[in-house]
Amino acid sequence: MATPAESVVLDARLADAGNRKIDWAAQHSPVLNALRGSLLEPGSLAGRRVGVIVPLEAKTAYLALVLRDAGAEVAVTGTSPAYVQDDVAAGLASRGVTVYAVAGVPAEEFERYYERVLEFRCDALIDDRAELVKLAHTKRADLVESICGASEETTSGVTRLRAMEREGVLRFPVVAANNARCKHLFDNRYGTGQSTIASILRNTNLFMAGKEVVVVGYGWCGKGIARRAKGVGARVTVVEVDAVKALEAYADGFEARSLDECAGRGDVFITSTGVPDAIRREHFEGMKDGVILANAGGLDVEIREATLRELAVEEREVRPHITEFTMADRRRLHLLAHGNLVNIAPADGHPVEIMDLTFAVQALACRHVLLHHEELAPGVHEFPAELDEEIARLKLASLGMGVGALTREQAAFLETWE
Amino acid sequence: MAERTSTIADPGLADEGDRRIAWVEKYSPLLTSLKDGELRDGALAGKRIALAIHLEAKTAYLALVLAEAGADVTVGGSNPATTRDDVCAALVRRGVAVHATHGASADQWETELERVLESEPEIIVDDGAELVSRLVARKPELVANVLGSSEETTTGVVKLRAMERDGALTWPAIAANDAYCKHLFDNRYGTGESTVSAILKVTNLLAAGKVVVVIGYGWVGKGVAKYFDGMGARVVVSEVDEVKALEAVADGHRAASLDEACEVGEWFVTCTGGIDAIRGVHFERMRDGALVANAGHYGHEIDLDALRELATEVVEARGDVTEYRLRDGRRIHVVADGELVNIAAGDGHAVEIMDLSFSVQALSAHYLARNHERMRPGLNRLPEEIDRGIARAKLATLGASVDVLTPRQREYLESWR
Repeated sequence: MATPAESVVLDARLADAGNRKIDWAAQHSPVLNALRGSLLEPGSLAGRRVGVIVPLEAKTAYLALVLRDAGAEVAVTGTSPAYVQDDVAAGLASRGVTVYAVAGVPAEEFERYYERVLEFRCDALIDDRAELVKLAHTKRADLVESICGASEETTSGVTRLRAMEREGVLRFPVVAANNARCKHLFDNRYGTGQSTIASILRNTNLFMAGKEVVVVGYGWCGKGIARRAKGVGARVTVVEVDAVKALEAYADGFEARSLDECAGRGDVFITSTGVPDAIRREHFEGMKDGVILANAGGLDVEIREATLRELAVEEREVRPHITEFTMADRRRLHLLAHGNLVNIAPADGHPVEIMDLTFAVQALACRHVLLHHEELAPGVHEFPAELDEEIARLKLASLGMGVGALTREQAAFLETWE
Repeated sequence: MAERTSTIADPGLADEGDRRIAWVEKYSPLLTSLKDGELRDGALAGKRIALAIHLEAKTAYLALVLAEAGADVTVGGSNPATTRDDVCAALVRRGVAVHATHGASADQWETELERVLESEPEIIVDDGAELVSRLVARKPELVANVLGSSEETTTGVVKLRAMERDGALTWPAIAANDAYCKHLFDNRYGTGESTVSAILKVTNLLAAGKVVVVIGYGWVGKGVAKYFDGMGARVVVSEVDEVKALEAVADGHRAASLDEACEVGEWFVTCTGGIDAIRGVHFERMRDGALVANAGHYGHEIDLDALRELATEVVEARGDVTEYRLRDGRRIHVVADGELVNIAAGDGHAVEIMDLSFSVQALSAHYLARNHERMRPGLNRLPEEIDRGIARAKLATLGASVDVLTPRQREYLESWR
């Protein structure tokens, strides 16, 4: 076995604090813990090299450790310098995983970390927004040969991979982990929903009940955010570009409007669209004094800080993670976390139990491509349904809950057509 | 008057404290309008006011509003765990006397409160009756100075009622807590939102699907239950009052005694205002990984001594979460050492809520200054027209409004024939 490559972290002395956070995540991850004794038992991934890119905090770290304990050699980086917890990076490095991640470094330096992960000569990648896959097909195409497959965490990444597949450039199979039911139904909806609202509350110390909250984008993330905002007493308006989703929002008890219509009456705006400039200049210009702007979507440009800066005559930090932009007419707009993901940048990200499900999907997707890549054509593949169901069963069992079963007659009924 | 001195941790933190107070000011339209309006009539000018409420940015803004009205304000903290040193520093820089340090020992805190009392207050704005009870018990020579006091919490009102019964309350005290614009919003929505937010923040765990046992279904418990419900939890309410238990059921929750609920609960939140709501017998039967937090006024609703006796090891599992490992291998997690979770592990109530509560407090102090001679000693309510005036002003800041009865409707309601 090769000597473990040298990690790049801010300060190895932070390891104790990081390890404590990782242990908390481990304690609340019953599905990953069950898999450690079954599909991911020690030796099951022996000799495999896995590159992981994810927002680097305790839960991600635990995924890396589970893979390591299954026998893999693992290299990890964060998705962005805004989403790295240095203590967790140090803790992970102290446990024999190779880590390239330092919070707050310049973007160019961070991109070097992506390359370092690819230079690790990975057999499989666990990717986020297809960053590593893209790099391995462009700038670092010299490293694509060793890669037998990947799995993808996000809706945005799957969209990107389908574009690559359509153009015929994707050179290995990628499992759309995001599309697994145990991922998007829980992570995107309940995970983003709870953690987005919790982060806005804790960072603003403001009262949500009675506030007009505008949720821009009603995909799984938007659905979860709208639901939790309503749960803390807000009046929710949903902005959609898809008429069916707008109607769905209406049927869920919300108002559906165009952003042009509701920009002037919202108190809090939350984006979850996956596209740039979800809120634009003309909307900022019509907003009330004191509004809160937060992004919970896949991109940090859904609310572009640069646009606010162009419009503002004054800019200052008014509370940690809140920038106030004062407009020429003295209206003050407050942007959370510079438009970075509000549930991760100034908070701890999704709840542990949600990421236990998500990372169980990722770990098994990774295992799937490692074991079956020869049978899988290059392109985007769905996560095997039987693994998806196994994860749900394990989670239910950990809760002391169970699931019914069809009778033989019922099963037969569903399969006949006459 | 004695020289104005202060006892604080670090005057160098004033800039951060000011920034926090500025954020509060921005979302406190009512207090700001009182500062620029009703409170300028001179009634508070030169009045010595002692104030002891959880000393963070919102309380600081109340102190500044009273000082701006001309009062000579001295501030203490109602709980050393919830005092913010940066806010104290900012207050001192702006000319308010402060005796409070974060994390003060019990002895140190007593000394701080004593120094607050040494300002010889004429009006006391109190929380949990901490200042009033000490003044009467330990500084009887200062009682004659006191024109009146107002009280922030349910717990404090209960204490004052006991004092009144014993003939120990010799001045008019306004139960600010009992104003509509206080308890209906602060105790319920304020505590509800901030308690749930603090628990989610410090645990990073998922509320959806969790069995959350809310112990006590007063205004605080009602809010905590409602907000956990909004986060997708399955809420069980434990009450000792059967009417409230029934109310919990009608609100869509389950009601069960804690003896029953302790075995099914995953998270436990005490909101009783009493003591020992969760005891050794309950810890003995809780599930592995159970998490307990307190949203009640005092840190003794969870019997931590009993838990410590059951534990073989106590470790910090995360910031603000202590893990007690019991002999049989089960782990119990205690948030913020059983202190008031929304303040000790969060920023306290939302700003807009405290704008309402502290408008009640500011107008109570103002009312006492103007009317103390006409008021009877003992507990009083804030006059209803002042209370309703606060609600009307708040509605106006929201662009919302309220109807008025037609003369015919009013006549109908007032006639008995």
